[in-house]
Amino acid sequence: MPPIAKFNTLERERIFKNPSDKSFQTPALQELVAPHIEAFNSLMEFGKGSKSGLLDLAIQDIGPKAVFDMAGGGLGNKLTFWVDEVTLNKPMLSEKERHSTTRQIYPTEARERLNTYRGKLQAKLAWRVNDGPVVVETRDMGLVPVMIRSNRCNLEGAFPKELIKHHEESEEFGGYFLVNGIEKLIRLLIVPRRNHVIALIRSSFTNRGPTYSTFGTAIRCARPDQTSQTNTVHYLTDGGSMLRFAWRKQEYLVPTMLILKALIDTSDKEIFDAVMLGDLENTFLTDRVELMLRSFKEYNLYTREQCLAYLGDKFRVVMNFPEDYSDIEVGEGLLRKIVLVHLKSNRDKFNLLIFMIRKVYALVAGECSPDNPDSPQHQEVLLGGHLYGSIIKEKIEDWLNGIRAQINQDVRRKVTGVDFMNNQYFTKTLQKTSGLQDVGSKMSYFLATGNLVSNTGLDLQQATGYTIVAEKLNFYRFLAHFRCIHRGSFFAELKTTTVRKLLPEAWGFLCPVHTPDGSPCGLLNHLSHTCKVITEPADVSRVPAILASLGVSQTLVPARGQRTIVVQLDGRIVGYCSSEEAKKVADALRHYKVSGTHQGAIPLDVELGYVPISQGGQYPGLYIFSSPARMMRPVRYLANGKTDMVGSFEQVYMEIACMDDEIRPGESTHQELAPTSMLSILANLTPFSDFNQSPRNMYQCQMGKQSMGTPATAIKYRTDNKMYRLQTGQTPIVRPALNDTYGIDGFPNGMNAVVAVISYTGYDMEDAMILNKSSHERGFGYGTIYKSEIVDLGDFRVRGEPVLHHFGLGLDAPRSWREKLDNDGLPCIGVTLKEGDPICAYIDDTTGKTSIKKYKGMEDGIVDDVRLLGSDNGDAELQKIHIKFRITRSPIIGDKFSSRHGQKGVCSQKWPSIDMPFSESGIQPDVIINPHAFPSRMTIGMFVESLAGKSGALHGIAQDATPFTFNETFTAADYFGEQLKSAGYNYHGNEPMYSGITGQEFKVDIYLGVVYYQRLRHMVADKYQVRTTGPVHNLTMQPVKGRKRAGGIRFGEMERDSLLAHGVSYLLQDRLMNCSDYSLCNICTKCGSITSPISTHASAALSGVREIECRTCQTSSAIDQIALPYVFRYLATELMSMGIKVTLKTQP
Amino acid sequence: MNYNATQSTAPKAPAPAMTYICAECGSDNEIKPKEPIRCKECGYRIMYKKRTKRMVQFEAR
Repeated sequence: MPPIAKFNTLERERIFKNPSDKSFQTPALQELVAPHIEAFNSLMEFGKGSKSGLLDLAIQDIGPKAVFDMAGGGLGNKLTFWVDEVTLNKPMLSEKERHSTTRQIYPTEARERLNTYRGKLQAKLAWRVNDGPVVVETRDMGLVPVMIRSNRCNLEGAFPKELIKHHEESEEFGGYFLVNGIEKLIRLLIVPRRNHVIALIRSSFTNRGPTYSTFGTAIRCARPDQTSQTNTVHYLTDGGSMLRFAWRKQEYLVPTMLILKALIDTSDKEIFDAVMLGDLENTFLTDRVELMLRSFKEYNLYTREQCLAYLGDKFRVVMNFPEDYSDIEVGEGLLRKIVLVHLKSNRDKFNLLIFMIRKVYALVAGECSPDNPDSPQHQEVLLGGHLYGSIIKEKIEDWLNGIRAQINQDVRRKVTGVDFMNNQYFTKTLQKTSGLQDVGSKMSYFLATGNLVSNTGLDLQQATGYTIVAEKLNFYRFLAHFRCIHRGSFFAELKTTTVRKLLPEAWGFLCPVHTPDGSPCGLLNHLSHTCKVITEPADVSRVPAILASLGVSQTLVPARGQRTIVVQLDGRIVGYCSSEEAKKVADALRHYKVSGTHQGAIPLDVELGYVPISQGGQYPGLYIFSSPARMMRPVRYLANGKTDMVGSFEQVYMEIACMDDEIRPGESTHQELAPTSMLSILANLTPFSDFNQSPRNMYQCQMGKQSMGTPATAIKYRTDNKMYRLQTGQTPIVRPALNDTYGIDGFPNGMNAVVAVISYTGYDMEDAMILNKSSHERGFGYGTIYKSEIVDLGDFRVRGEPVLHHFGLGLDAPRSWREKLDNDGLPCIGVTLKEGDPICAYIDDTTGKTSIKKYKGMEDGIVDDVRLLGSDNGDAELQKIHIKFRITRSPIIGDKFSSRHGQKGVCSQKWPSIDMPFSESGIQPDVIINPHAFPSRMTIGMFVESLAGKSGALHGIAQDATPFTFNETFTAADYFGEQLKSAGYNYHGNEPMYSGITGQEFKVDIYLGVVYYQRLRHMVADKYQVRTTGPVHNLTMQPVKGRKRAGGIRFGEMERDSLLAHGVSYLLQDRLMNCSDYSLCNICTKCGSITSPISTHASAALSGVREIECRTCQTSSAIDQIALPYVFRYLATELMSMGIKVTLKTQP
Repeated sequence: MNYNATQSTAPKAPAPAMTYICAECGSDNEIKPKEPIRCKECGYRIMYKKRTKRMVQFEAR
């Protein structure tokens, strides 16, 4: 029994009239963008209530830099400098501004003034010479764009009342940046799961060199500041292994043995024992470990110091450490900065590297399968805030390196004034490197273009496409932008389609319905609506103790035979135990986690991935994750009925039932909260989507995003380039429950229409639909387009010169201009502009003349709004205006409409109301569609919607259309049929209807109901292209192409072929010659040349008749005129230029 | 009121002031050409043009 849905009209009106200052109407909307906002917040506050953020961790990781002045022979004085503290401030007016009553800048100003919403980034730069006193100076690092509604936005924590006061949507959720007035979003990206070793078989691994095999294990290690470093262990065919890493986009390969021995003071026996884990019968393993240990003897490195020194010697130049570092220190630095960077202690690194080696050997032996990097099990999300932080980190480091390079250069060139003891020298150097200091402009560039300019590559696979414009075409589209998640543009070029596959591992995390078809299919996914992305680190400090109490052995005492499996916590080996014990441990931890025992030592966001021992399956172990950026979703824990969070790694090995009847006692541990949890918001908004053929639901997800709807409620304060608005939007009668949860009623996206499924008049063939002319006149589908025009007189200004152009109408302005413009040179609001009319006028001081900007646009536009944009400090005269035009778009023939079931159609006629068929109760359809739209498409959901809409309209109720509420025993047809019956209508939804023309009853009953229709933004007014004569290309004299230039549509080769096949030569000539580049041309019939005849002036100068003569034949007797395509003449001259003669044989 | 006052004191002034609406506080602001765009009440930097007092006739079709 579906719950009774309600329109809540009065409640919504009350909230609309009295916006709350304490709570949101739809908190669910705020949660949808939480990953974006929380990730940005973590730059300043990593973890709830924490004082330090990712930026603080980043500057810790950068550490001090040092230079030497080479004074007195050796290295000389040492100048050490580092960044002590970074702060990002909220957007505030500059100190120069003195007039404003409020100092805060709110996003609406950035939006309306087409500015960037940004706050000041400040860094405390500290330096000292040798061991002298530390000098600290605060440096401005430019204005960094700030995320709306983050903790660096002045709207942080604001509720509807305040938001409305600041000209925002009442439910504004933020999560985007404002760059030059455009809303920009860093989109979520899929990256390999951090701190987890995956086994790979890649043929490209063999390209690294001889003896390299296809086998390897890789781990993407994340530092505390959320930057990452990937380490790969390669298996060599001779049994050894190499560690590969990339540093500053350069790849390096180091023997793993060298790294192992450099990490800790160890012996060959210890390494042997650690790899073997007591499994001495495994000769495959013993052979290889022995070989690995023996082959390392070649290096003659016996102690840790020797290994470190060797490493340091080789990597000294690469690592760019201070010159006074010893080789050992450089080696240690390398291990700290590059090798398994998620771990602090070298012992842990050693253990994990051993684990990687063991896993690669298991992979080679076939004991385990390769892991699928395309599966969400081995993936996590790259959050915008984390990426933003890593870019800022890199830019700060670039700045410090720049200072160092500058000083080094000065020292090397022996520039006068290099004096470390004098603070002025250092400050001067800082001024020289101020280009690198402006991090703000670099961040603005990143957001505006989406291009990543980076020396290190940030361990990412792409350099472009990180940001998207959060278009407010309609609310669906806007919302979908925040939930979309991309696989990476690298994969878009991949020939194979394996990355695009929908895997069962994605269940509940990525929506199976909501992905576009075409080239981005399967790469651009959307998070399911219950899926959360963890943004805070969980406190797992007490987990090792609990593990120990549950019987997990310590790392120092491994080796208990074959069936021992590893227990890892965020990529750190915390112990070993048997597989059976691990299962018990995992179950116990799960129980502690959900029930919150042990004082919440195991937070709910912890993921307990227990991989059991299998025959050649995934490498077993108990992998516990607590790090941020993982996808998790809520499900019910059956043992106590509480909500558990499940991650994409652990889900693979869990028994989660979906419906009640799927619970298997003793096996199922969890159950879905609702079967619709797996769908994205948009997929959820399709009514009765479980009745439709699946591709139709995909189409609806696309079309919902293209429909003309209500983009925003604060339309007056928006400056979008183009905005579509449906004037007569309604709330759907038939809607899923989530419609209310997400407050979609605030942004109607279509209209309820009475739809008759009937073949009437023939104008509904081939997906055309007939619109009732009267319903059109009542406003059905009436829409508006808002277009923006920006006029900036600053563009005319030459640098250094005073302002010479001012808006205004001079005395020289003609009267026709004054009809449209006021004395200030700006258009009157409400005036209609046609093509060529002035949109504004300005006076040039140098000439004293008034010039205008013309309205370009084929349609009439009405001036809706004129904004006068001042300068940042409010001290400059008017130079920039923003004009908003309104273009009316009432539906016309050729406009596209669609129901919510992927059933799109084009309006073919606006049929007069008197000729429309009518039912017994006198109802006429608003829309007529053809019955042929259904059999092949199987959109039964539309039939059900029609039934439900009809009964809902008759009873005056909202109908719940959540998918998976009906089943075979409790059918939708019966439920709504009974409702119809009680209203006195046919149980099946059919009705007798009468022809509007003859008045006779049709021989069949017609399926008549109410369906919600969307008007799509594709309108003929934007697309029609027609031409008889018009502009031509001046080289070929053929018609130009392009709708904007009044060009033609190409009559191409294939079209030519079909005319040839039909033998319609006259039409062929008409198209290709007469209507194209027909030209008359003189030819000398004697020599056959079209290039030689030229006009001579001599004889006929008085008569005015031109004599034409062939230059080669020196006679005018053989000149004749023929019709030729102009391009042919062009071809002839081109050939002539290459020394090729063209002769035409002519016949009378 | 204010509008009339300026008209009476300086008819056909070479630089007639226009009245605009502040986007922040909504107060009327008289701004002459070449004057900075700034609200006299709150210092805000965006102004809206007022709707024209002229008759705007639409084609009735």
